[in-house]
Amino acid sequence: MAATSYNWNEIAQHPKYLQLKSKKRSFLFGWWIFASVYYFLLPILSGYVPDLFRIRIVGAINFGYLFILSQFVVAIFVAIYYTRVANNDFDRLTAELVREIQ
Amino acid sequence: MLKQALLAMTLTLLVTTAGFCAEPAKPAAPAPPAVAQGTQGTQGTQTTQTTQGTSAATAAKAAAPAAPAAPARVKPNRVITSTMFLAIIGITLCVVVWAAKRTTSAADFYAAGGGITGLQNGWAIAGDYMSAASFLGMSGLISLYGIDGFMYAVGPMFSFIAILLVVAEPCRNAGKYTLGDILSFRASPKPVRAVAALSTVTVSLFYLIAQMVGAGKLMQVLLDIPYRFSVIGVGVLMVGYVVFGGMKATTWVQIIKAGLLMSGTVLLAFLVMAKAGFNPFSFFESVVNSQFVQDHVRMNVLKDPLPKPGFDYGQRFMEPGLFLKNPLDQVSLGIAWALGAAGLPHILMRFFTVPNAQEARKSIVIALFINSTFFFLINLIGFGAALYLTPQLISSADKGGNMATLLLAQKLGGGAGSFGGDLFLAFICAVAFATILAVVSGLVLAASAAIAHDVYVNIIKDGKADQQTQVRVARLTSLFVGIAAIVMGLAAEKENVVALVALAFAVAASGNFPAVMLSLFWRRFNTAGVVSALVVGTVSALALVMISPVMTYPQKIADDAKKIIVTLEKRQAEGAVLADKDQKALDKARADFKKNDGGTSMVGLKAPIFPLKNPGIVSAPLGLLAAIVGTLMFRSRRSEEMFDEIEVRQITGLGIAKASDH
Repeated sequence: MAATSYNWNEIAQHPKYLQLKSKKRSFLFGWWIFASVYYFLLPILSGYVPDLFRIRIVGAINFGYLFILSQFVVAIFVAIYYTRVANNDFDRLTAELVREIQ
Repeated sequence: MLKQALLAMTLTLLVTTAGFCAEPAKPAAPAPPAVAQGTQGTQGTQTTQTTQGTSAATAAKAAAPAAPAAPARVKPNRVITSTMFLAIIGITLCVVVWAAKRTTSAADFYAAGGGITGLQNGWAIAGDYMSAASFLGMSGLISLYGIDGFMYAVGPMFSFIAILLVVAEPCRNAGKYTLGDILSFRASPKPVRAVAALSTVTVSLFYLIAQMVGAGKLMQVLLDIPYRFSVIGVGVLMVGYVVFGGMKATTWVQIIKAGLLMSGTVLLAFLVMAKAGFNPFSFFESVVNSQFVQDHVRMNVLKDPLPKPGFDYGQRFMEPGLFLKNPLDQVSLGIAWALGAAGLPHILMRFFTVPNAQEARKSIVIALFINSTFFFLINLIGFGAALYLTPQLISSADKGGNMATLLLAQKLGGGAGSFGGDLFLAFICAVAFATILAVVSGLVLAASAAIAHDVYVNIIKDGKADQQTQVRVARLTSLFVGIAAIVMGLAAEKENVVALVALAFAVAASGNFPAVMLSLFWRRFNTAGVVSALVVGTVSALALVMISPVMTYPQKIADDAKKIIVTLEKRQAEGAVLADKDQKALDKARADFKKNDGGTSMVGLKAPIFPLKNPGIVSAPLGLLAAIVGTLMFRSRRSEEMFDEIEVRQITGLGIAKASDH
């Protein structure tokens, strides 16, 4: 197994690693919490403020329907944004870190 | 030797099943049952409150032996349908033969040798989410209850965010084949693997039994074959895929099915929109202006015998609250989705089939795209079914609305009896069949991986087993898990399986999810924490579901029957002569009352104690709390020292388990 050749504790103190870790952590948990809050607005608003969902926007289409659609938009936006950041920043930092320890 | 024996068995059963498909239709067809399954544990069975006498017979329990009236029925053309089913069986068996030749090591069997690309894995994961319940059940729910059905679609779609951000890549970087691999990384391997295996088998089997029962009932309706044969047929194919083809075959069957399902969905939604002139505004305008929709909402859903003046019953269809009545239950269900899906073992396993974290990321994003498209189209199909078929027709075919997609395909294909209608209906039936096969196979694989890899190889053999033994054990385990699933599926024919799905998700959200998250992100987390999270999460979810309204309460059935008896007897007393239908309803209600009066649920309750159908809102915090308390009570220096390793691994992917290394 190739895995044993790394000194994990040493890598864990590497400044580049610490930078990567804090960047990743704040980004991932931040967006996860944002997305979850947005998602839970759906059952909460539809259950406790149903009048809001009844407001008609275009013809028969009301706020509730558009809010459900917006859930799709938000999920796709978060996914695309994360992919961009991960592909550009996280993967690049990881590659630099791996180069430095090897 | 083993291989030949298995092959012979599979073939024999296959031929028997196929023979049954080709037989002419039997005259006495069973009443269309509810596809009482669903990834979110909702459908059908809860809408069985009987009301006015006239509708009592059809509104009675979905499990009624035979409906007296002749409601709309899905009647697929047997020749076309059988041909399509055989084509699907044929194609998937070719995949299995191809995959079997390439499955020689444990990594091949559990993780397809790490040789699945992000794109392929994305389709496979999307396929895991698109079960028959979402394909048939969700559109049916929309066609009967409007926007509430569409709200259900958001949960599965949104669950990808948690998976994408905090689960998929770390798990791919730190894990190997199973949940037990991640959890036992820095804890004492044996107890943790044992508990993780137990939890995986429980979750997968619950889910599996619900799917098997749903499959049996669906096939019964579509092909007129007896329940037993459909369960055995589905079971045998499923066992064949997994035993011979392992993860490679399971993944490809899932990809093929996802492709077929998406084509069917896109085509159907396209036809719906074409009929509406591609104008979504006038489409929804027509839905709310439909006299049938308005009558359905007024009489069947809101139960207003006379219209309330000035109330727009059509627009009410677009407003929440027709189906989902308890907001707290919705939040609880949301927790099950948001956290549970990320803890489901058969989903977790899919991250190990791709070579690295980048591909795992890509696969989740692709799965999210496919599924959000799918659920959006399902909403058009559901509203389209309400508009073009009418809710009355849909609920006469099946109380839970499960036949909506099928009837709509038949209608838009050219109508019943026309070649186009028959062809499209047969195609959609075959897609539903493929869907069931693909989903159950993934579940069998997850359960048997937990037994073979965690229990046999790592606990009994201390991780010392050569590749050949590992694969052989994995195959044997899959065979036994499959047989167990068939037997339980047969035994559960008359059981209420909706509870099982709610349970699978709740256990995953309350036990697996906190355990995985804390393993990856909390330095102090240790053996005691893993074990207490899994045990408390599982037990509390189980206990809460047992005392929740999703169980069957005979006393409630008896009370409902009593209401029908009172209504009808009152009418008799007034001198009216009951119609044939009503007389039958009265007889049935009397029988139901006699059978169920004074009865209690499985745990001896007359009425539910816990008010919610989904336990997540209580059991998930309990599981998390138990994990924290357990960890702090039994500190482990070793676990804390090893945290650096798992953290560096999960963040950077250094030392990643390559399937070819093992």
